[in-house]
Amino acid sequence: MPALRLLAILQTDCPTCRLITPYLNKLASNRTTVSAVSQDAEDATNEFVRQMEVRFPVRRDPGFELSKRFEVVTVPTLYVLDENDRIVRQEPGFDKTALNEIAALLGHPPVATPYDGAPASKPGCTSRHLETLTEDAPAAALDLHSPRGAQASLIELAGSDDLHEYCFRAFGDALPVVPPTKERVERMLHTAAHDPEEVIARIPPCYGEATLEKIAANAVMAGCRPEMMRVLIPLARAVADERFNAHGVQATTHFAAPLIIVNGPVRGELGFHSRQNVFSNVARANSTLGRALQLILLNLGGARPDGIDMSALGNPGKFSYCIAENEEESPWEPLHAEQGLARAQSAVTLFAAEAPHGVSEHNARSARGVLKAVSYALASVWSYRACLAYEAVVVLGPEHVKTIHHDGFSKQDVRDFLFENTGVPLRCYSDGEPGEGVAQRGMYKEISIDGEPCYQKFRSPEAIKIVVAGGTAGKFSAVLGSWAAGPRGSQMVTYPI
Amino acid sequence: MPTLVNPMNERAPQAAPAAPRLATLQGKTIALLDISKPGGSIFLDRLERLLKDRHQVAQVLRAMKPTFAKPAPADVIDKIRAADAVIEALAD
Repeated sequence: MPALRLLAILQTDCPTCRLITPYLNKLASNRTTVSAVSQDAEDATNEFVRQMEVRFPVRRDPGFELSKRFEVVTVPTLYVLDENDRIVRQEPGFDKTALNEIAALLGHPPVATPYDGAPASKPGCTSRHLETLTEDAPAAALDLHSPRGAQASLIELAGSDDLHEYCFRAFGDALPVVPPTKERVERMLHTAAHDPEEVIARIPPCYGEATLEKIAANAVMAGCRPEMMRVLIPLARAVADERFNAHGVQATTHFAAPLIIVNGPVRGELGFHSRQNVFSNVARANSTLGRALQLILLNLGGARPDGIDMSALGNPGKFSYCIAENEEESPWEPLHAEQGLARAQSAVTLFAAEAPHGVSEHNARSARGVLKAVSYALASVWSYRACLAYEAVVVLGPEHVKTIHHDGFSKQDVRDFLFENTGVPLRCYSDGEPGEGVAQRGMYKEISIDGEPCYQKFRSPEAIKIVVAGGTAGKFSAVLGSWAAGPRGSQMVTYPI
Repeated sequence: MPTLVNPMNERAPQAAPAAPRLATLQGKTIALLDISKPGGSIFLDRLERLLKDRHQVAQVLRAMKPTFAKPAPADVIDKIRAADAVIEALAD
């Protein structure tokens, strides 16, 4: 095989260059020739190399000579060069698929996995020599991707302090917490095979470092058992996933709170409850995992309910919001399998959800009868005349599932039925009154529901996410509206455990 | 008393100093940033007219975030980088 080498052109303050650097470090670890060129000054370059623990040589590009010669438009750009310095491949920006293809070209195993918390792709920044020049000094670069965080400080209380009062006041969410003593945090860390200072994620909107140690301290406070660390690590990555957009979810004036949905064998292994009272206070695993996530969001993410979290009315789920799917009472594929994981894989899913809206239907005897009741609750999600921009989770109770399944409905049939039967009557728009969703009606699709002309509520059947949960007595289901959905809002994310 | 592990974010936020205020708008380049909330463009259209008619600004740059729900992407920031001042509309 001809000797290929990789050259990366980088800027020290470009977030995408920082995002790609740990992957270049991995590529540099296996006799692969990796080098980089920094478009910035010596001080900034040295600081970048130190912060990012760069493991390949980085030289500078005075006068942007090399950048101009390569006609770089975007940083980062990766060049695979042959022994005569001819370009074999070039790749601007960050793209996991491209990184793995380049790794293969260099004879290296894949370096990017789908569930490491980083997006699948991200555009880069303008090459420095093409930038609009300003006279101002550059702002300090945000450090969002260095692999190691600071060690947590230790707090020694004075003998006169009340331990529980101190922790409640300094670290709590408005309820008392278990004091995060050194011994308890060490026990929590004992089960995790990572360095305590490894940064698992940076939590929006303030991007506090969720090191393993900080996650463990917050998990202790929430009352988690040490075994919960194996769930909290992927959960921290999931909540910081750009697609979930915690930056927006945590700062919005809307009701949304991150709902955790647990699937797979971990439910039995750690005691997650999926039956009666699934949304409430029935199981330590559900309650403490939900609260640990909230404490991580508050204490590391920085969106406190009297500050950056601007929710007008809030959401009781901000104390703890964690359910497990009742896979045993479901005849269908569970949520995580629909999200692309193996059924035997344990998983956590996050959805930015409103509080559950109950749907009672004890008298319907058919799938159609039950699902019509659900569709009327779905029709008013967000605001009654707003269509297309929102999603919903439908939690179907086991008794409703039995009736629906008895009529031969697959999960896709359920979704299709709800999609086709959820709409807003055209007469709701005829009073001339301005309101949410009215100005957008030109984009809506007109359908007929039971003979009445309506606008279709949802963009596609996939906007309706179906989960089976709850007790086997009581013919109830629930509808949970979303925050702004899709790539411009928050998207559901599922991570393997 | 037991020793506690600090569970809070200990990275001090880096405060950026505000840019110096402009003494005059005359001859300046002003960027108007629409965060894409409903009504923002109505407000900024009026502001653009006022800036040009009453304050003789040299140039108005218009930029729009693709969504109000996320931070401005790098290309939007690049577009307004050259302005002397930026006015952002948070309308709803």
